[in-house]
Amino acid sequence: MACEDCKLNSPELVLESMVRRTDAIIDRIGGTRDKIIPLLQALQEEFSYLPSDALNHIYERTEIDRAQVISVSSFYSQFRMVPYGKHTIKVCIGTACHVKGASIVYDAFKRELNIPDDSITTNDQQYSIEKVACLGCCALAPVVQIDNKIFGHVQAGRVRDVLAEFEELQSQNGKENESQKREPQGEVRIGMENCCQASGTAEVRDAVVKACDELGINVKLKPISCVGACNQVPLIDVAMPNGEIVRYPNIKSEEVKEVLLHHFKPASKLRRLRNVILNHIDTFHTDTTWDNILWKPEQERTQHINTFLNGQHRISTEGYGKMNPLDIDEYIKLGGFEALKKALTSMKREEVIDEVLKSGLRGRGGGGFPTGRKWQMVAGNESDKKYVICNGDEGDPGAFMDRILLESYPLRVIEGLIIAAYAVGADEGIFYIRAEYPQAVIRIRKALDMCREKGMLGENILNTGFNMDIRVFEGAGAFVCGEETALIGSIEGKRGFPHLRPPYPAQAGLFGKPTLINNVESLSQISYIINHGAEEYAKVGTEGSKGTKVFALAGKVNHGGLIEVPMGTTLRQIVEEIGGGVEGGEKLKAVQTGGPSGGCIPAELCDAKVDFDALNQMGAIMGSGGLVVLSESSCMVDVARYFLNFTCEESCGKCTFCRIGIRRMLDILDKLSTGKATMADIDRLEELANSVKKSALCGLGKTAPNPVLSTLRYFRNEYEEHVQGICRTGSCKGMVKLVVTDDCLGCTKCARCCPSEAIAFTPYEKHEIDVTKCTLCGLCMDECDYKAIKYENLHK
Amino acid sequence: MKIYINNKELEVSGNEPLIEELNRNGYNIPSLCYAKEAKHQASCMVCMVKNIANGQMIPSCSTFPTEGMKIETDTEEVLSLRQMSLELLLSDHRADCEAPCTIVCPNKLDPAQILLYYDKTHPCPPCEGGSSHAEKDTPNTNKDLRESFPCYNCKAPCEKACRRGTVDKSVSIREIMIEMAENHPVLFENTPNGNSLPHREGRGGSVFSSKLGRYTNEEKEWLKEVYNDASHCLHCACEGRDKCKLREYSAQAGIKAPRYGVSSSLPVKEQIRVVGKLCYEPAKCIRCGLCVYNSEDGFTFHNRGFVMQVVIPEESKNHIKEQLATLCPTGALFLAP
Repeated sequence: MACEDCKLNSPELVLESMVRRTDAIIDRIGGTRDKIIPLLQALQEEFSYLPSDALNHIYERTEIDRAQVISVSSFYSQFRMVPYGKHTIKVCIGTACHVKGASIVYDAFKRELNIPDDSITTNDQQYSIEKVACLGCCALAPVVQIDNKIFGHVQAGRVRDVLAEFEELQSQNGKENESQKREPQGEVRIGMENCCQASGTAEVRDAVVKACDELGINVKLKPISCVGACNQVPLIDVAMPNGEIVRYPNIKSEEVKEVLLHHFKPASKLRRLRNVILNHIDTFHTDTTWDNILWKPEQERTQHINTFLNGQHRISTEGYGKMNPLDIDEYIKLGGFEALKKALTSMKREEVIDEVLKSGLRGRGGGGFPTGRKWQMVAGNESDKKYVICNGDEGDPGAFMDRILLESYPLRVIEGLIIAAYAVGADEGIFYIRAEYPQAVIRIRKALDMCREKGMLGENILNTGFNMDIRVFEGAGAFVCGEETALIGSIEGKRGFPHLRPPYPAQAGLFGKPTLINNVESLSQISYIINHGAEEYAKVGTEGSKGTKVFALAGKVNHGGLIEVPMGTTLRQIVEEIGGGVEGGEKLKAVQTGGPSGGCIPAELCDAKVDFDALNQMGAIMGSGGLVVLSESSCMVDVARYFLNFTCEESCGKCTFCRIGIRRMLDILDKLSTGKATMADIDRLEELANSVKKSALCGLGKTAPNPVLSTLRYFRNEYEEHVQGICRTGSCKGMVKLVVTDDCLGCTKCARCCPSEAIAFTPYEKHEIDVTKCTLCGLCMDECDYKAIKYENLHK
Repeated sequence: MKIYINNKELEVSGNEPLIEELNRNGYNIPSLCYAKEAKHQASCMVCMVKNIANGQMIPSCSTFPTEGMKIETDTEEVLSLRQMSLELLLSDHRADCEAPCTIVCPNKLDPAQILLYYDKTHPCPPCEGGSSHAEKDTPNTNKDLRESFPCYNCKAPCEKACRRGTVDKSVSIREIMIEMAENHPVLFENTPNGNSLPHREGRGGSVFSSKLGRYTNEEKEWLKEVYNDASHCLHCACEGRDKCKLREYSAQAGIKAPRYGVSSSLPVKEQIRVVGKLCYEPAKCIRCGLCVYNSEDGFTFHNRGFVMQVVIPEESKNHIKEQLATLCPTGALFLAP
């Protein structure tokens, strides 16, 4: 990083500057022990890592000591002790990315950038690379983030293009487009969530701005809440003054100009004429526009997105694709804060709790504990101080519901949190948002400021005498902090160690005070319940699970995205109808729900209605709502191993069964995936899994064996095949090799694309793969037009 | 208040954790991470009992009795889970209780202890200049020694078992034993049981012995560098084995051999001098955290998950008191002799 230190030439001056900058951070954030995480985050932001001189200064000036810094900084994955290169490449290894080959992408970046095996930074200090838990853009898998720019669908073969694109962006930075002051002729609505930007929406947005400038037309460009149809982006809606809305899914930036011309009149006739001519020339002379978006009939254009959107039921995501997430006036106009008003002015605290209780709302974070009961418990504990916390530490790889809700509907979640605070008698609220979601943090902060300005937060809210304020706490990268006692620990400045309940947070939570912790999605349903009444809400859903559930649909499905459906919808409806079936016409094998704590539900059970209880019975859990579709080409042993690897790394390390038990399970799975296991190992794995489930201390540990137990239950034959040395899908790299079949014509395409030079350049001869050099990246398989390369089992 | 232990009613105050009530009434609940009067957090799960009301396994060290609570302490399920927790801990415990040479000695001698004494009295490798061999005490003039001392006619299985042999070359145990017997006969007298030879105690079925597993190549290089006493002995026997609760409970549970392969990220045989006589050997640590919770700005956790370790930063060593060793349930913290 080209910091100001580089200009200083003596070590004393460097130290002095570092101390000065550290002092400023301490002055800004404070020096009590509970401030350690924000302090370390600010230090890292300032210096790009945690320099020891700065830490020494922290020990001198604050209550924080060395033991605490070591303990905390080494617990959370966000912190690093070595400087990184100028740019950081984050390769997402979430579930959806994993099943689409994230580790191959990681290797491809390392190869492309010539990063040595034992390092993560290029020799010229330009790029550092790391794997991250989940960027929450699962429908665009595999996903990679370079600095703040997210790239979707990054297959290993695209790595070079992505880097080139990034460098081009770097050189373009700073160019701004002229602003416009004339009356808008209409509106162009465009989703600007992180994930939309990853798939070219940012380029489309730029194209709109540029086209408007060129054509001299003036439209209002409105950022809108997420439509959820991640598979159909870039997506723009053109809204005409007469209320007509025309939807353009999958639009390309080169098509923007024409779409705008179609709907709006340019400033002058001359300009218009010139543009029409030029555009037609463009259209007929470039291949890309032969498949022109305007030439497609409405039905063809929007068929997929319509089937995707039908069958959904919007409560948490009401106003999708219409609302500007950060326009508080619009939110109020559409009925926002009505629930808050109603609760504060016409309902007693007990009545609010009663309403939530009657609605049957169950916690959407995973466990499904009745939300109203939780509120009752906190309300029932007398205390001079109480806290409410919104749990936005969505750590499940393969889940991004909470991120979208926070980014797209920040005001609705805030409203829910204020109502909760009123109901339980708290005056301080905290948004706990994980570090990987910077956009959510920014939007919630902005939305909180707006609420304060409007008198919805702070002293004397809506003139009712109720006081409360909310702050944001950024998580530092630990899956276990989704567990409420661990989450509290981390706000208090400790390692995210869960502790034994009782005492429950409702009795003694944050700083020992009664604390209510609700998940983002639970809170986003509160305003609907208060506005429409518990009975109306309870009409949706099943007997034991009321309302709707937001799911993140990803994996091997045609149309992934964010969906909200009534409880009781079947998995098959979700995959086949909303999701448009399994990718590549393959057969559905299973649906993984609930992330690392959940299980795999086999295709034959996918007709069961999805609710808390049904999923539990099938050995899975609702979890926070990630649905990863697995096809015939997914290996279940690999899936189980993937999740266990995740929990092994994310285990807090406190109790024996989770810390060592999961490691020993993983040892056995490693043996299985390299064909070295025996049948007795499968039994031992099962015994360990059942024991960890019974004996681990917290929810993370108790549920960690679920992916293994559920795959053992439904796909035991696959485990047995692995003992015999067979992995049918080629996912277990330790037991397969790539071979060229007789279908090979010797076209050399594979030889040219092979990054590790494992295929000799032999035109018109059948190619051979040198297994000693082959890294099994599979690029050649994708390249081969004759399907002449396939996996073969090593141990036959 | 009344609680029910294995269907038997028990009157308790409710002010102390279950484990105290249970132990007072003779239930003998094992526990590693718990120490009365010290700060602790449930982690080892060796003390678990079953709460019948919800079917959950709970650590009795951190659970307080509630009115009418029903607890099981002695069912097959509880006992086998406790045993598994010990077995899991042992699979991440890279240390030997007893030295292999001592274990295999057909004559029930304790070569490990003699080697310890040998190295103490031979501070530098003998072949290097300035070596200060210990003064010989009255040499053994007993001509029958050759016949009475068993090492003379032994095939020295100790040297085959010697761990040093897996690193480079076995320690010449037999030679050293004979040298010590000739020059320091006093060492072999006045030993317990009136036996004339130092005899290792407690051999037999009831004692459990942890095994360290194999050294990696890097470890071997490191051991060669660090363990270069006169005898080249690695001093495998654990200094803290007599007070080690992990060993005690493993023996009680009837554990004979490890059920899970030892794989561990811990640095084997690394011994850190903390303060005074207090030493810390991370490879024996079970990460219960007692030393962390009961020292101020001293021992601390590092990392998370399986690779989590307890570390002592150089700058914090002087914040530690020697007595902390008494809290450690294993031989990870011990006072050097």
